[in-house]
Amino acid sequence: MMDHTHVEAQEVVDRYVMGKLSAEEAERFEEHYLSCPECLDRLELAESMQRGFKRAAGQDVARLAAARQLALVAWLSRLGRSRQMAVLAMAVLVIAILPAGLALREIGERDRELARERERSAAGSQSAAEAGKLRAELQTSRRDLAREREARASAAEQLAQARQPQANVPILFLDAERGAGEPSVRLRLPSKPGWIVLALTIDPPYQPSYRVILRDAKGREVWRGGDLRLDERDSLSLSLPSTLLAPGDYTLAVEGLAPGRQPAAAGRFAFRVLPAA
Amino acid sequence: MSVDAVYQPDEAGIATDLVRRIAAGDAAAEVSLVERYSRGLLYLLRRLGAPPELAEDLHQETFRIVLERLRRRELDEPAGLAGFLRGTARNLMTAERRKTARRRTDADSEGLESAVHPAPGQLSAVLLEEEAAIVRRLIGEMPTERDRQLLLRYYVAEEEKESICTALGLDSLHFNRVLFRARHRFKELLVRFQERQGPAAHIG
Repeated sequence: MMDHTHVEAQEVVDRYVMGKLSAEEAERFEEHYLSCPECLDRLELAESMQRGFKRAAGQDVARLAAARQLALVAWLSRLGRSRQMAVLAMAVLVIAILPAGLALREIGERDRELARERERSAAGSQSAAEAGKLRAELQTSRRDLAREREARASAAEQLAQARQPQANVPILFLDAERGAGEPSVRLRLPSKPGWIVLALTIDPPYQPSYRVILRDAKGREVWRGGDLRLDERDSLSLSLPSTLLAPGDYTLAVEGLAPGRQPAAAGRFAFRVLPAA
Repeated sequence: MSVDAVYQPDEAGIATDLVRRIAAGDAAAEVSLVERYSRGLLYLLRRLGAPPELAEDLHQETFRIVLERLRRRELDEPAGLAGFLRGTARNLMTAERRKTARRRTDADSEGLESAVHPAPGQLSAVLLEEEAAIVRRLIGEMPTERDRQLLLRYYVAEEEKESICTALGLDSLHFNRVLFRARHRFKELLVRFQERQGPAAHIG
């Protein structure tokens, strides 16, 4: 039973627009509003109002970010040249030198330890073999430091790229596979690293939440996501960084999760990733 | 499904009457059915994600299927006509999505172009801006900072009513009052804007 008293008291219209109604409640409300001009008016108003709030909030965030950047530039421009250089030097120190300095400190510790060992060795307390071992450890530490610096630079580059808006994001619409065989859906990797969207159509019976496990052709787990909920189109959408996928075949196993029950298979989706053109 | 008798006549009774008359070959009943459910069905299809043109097509297709079925045979539960219409529309939309998915078997540039959501038209863009402007005015008219926070937390952060009331130390009655006034004022300002713009000023 759904009447306007219930719609009003339970804020059904707002909750429907925000996608917060249960599937059952949404179904009842949809059957009701199909022939109810008053609820349709309320729905259109609620949508319009929510759109307005979100847009205004988005504009505020953009304005705030721009104002902060301008304030920083203005503050820098007011400083004298020597102070500007000092700020720059501090920024470089914080961004680049400080982490490297910490690693160098560790190397210094190892150097000192090695020197101590050498002294002890000269005094006949340590064998030459142990000193050699320490030298090897020192070399390993230096290699680790170099690798860490490379990884840091690469991560910073990826982060900068991920923060950029991306056009033409590849979107893969996947239906559950009914049998074995080669995947019919193919995805060509983009020439530059970016995001890939997988849209999975889930068949009923629907579960409160789902988990997804992505495996490569050898069955190795590549990625796993949990506590995923269907959108209003009964689909699950996943955004994955393209760097996660190498050319080859992949399967996505989707399992439905219901409280107090074992995870139940809700579909298997397959696709083939082709190398960038 | 029964609805409040003050606002709307008995849906079950009307649906049963329409189903029986259509099965008996009454063409006027077919017109009444389309008039009664047309707007709601179109809204539902848009809500399910159909772009305007597709929504129009599926809207017509839903009525075609339902009317052909009703002409052949009555429904087992004539009162469930709305459910039958809703189910048919949803199935058509699902089939359409599957069809689109099959067409896009490779992430080629042509497929991607068609997957990109079209930018809003000029009029829609103006309306979207106006909605944001009305919201700013609305927030500015709120008598207290607490009421402003209430609206922002409800509409932007989509927090639950209970958690907002707890956080702001409000009772449910005050919450409802603020929301009611805000909705009323938003509608007032929106209608005023739409009147200035003419009949086309609606975002579909």
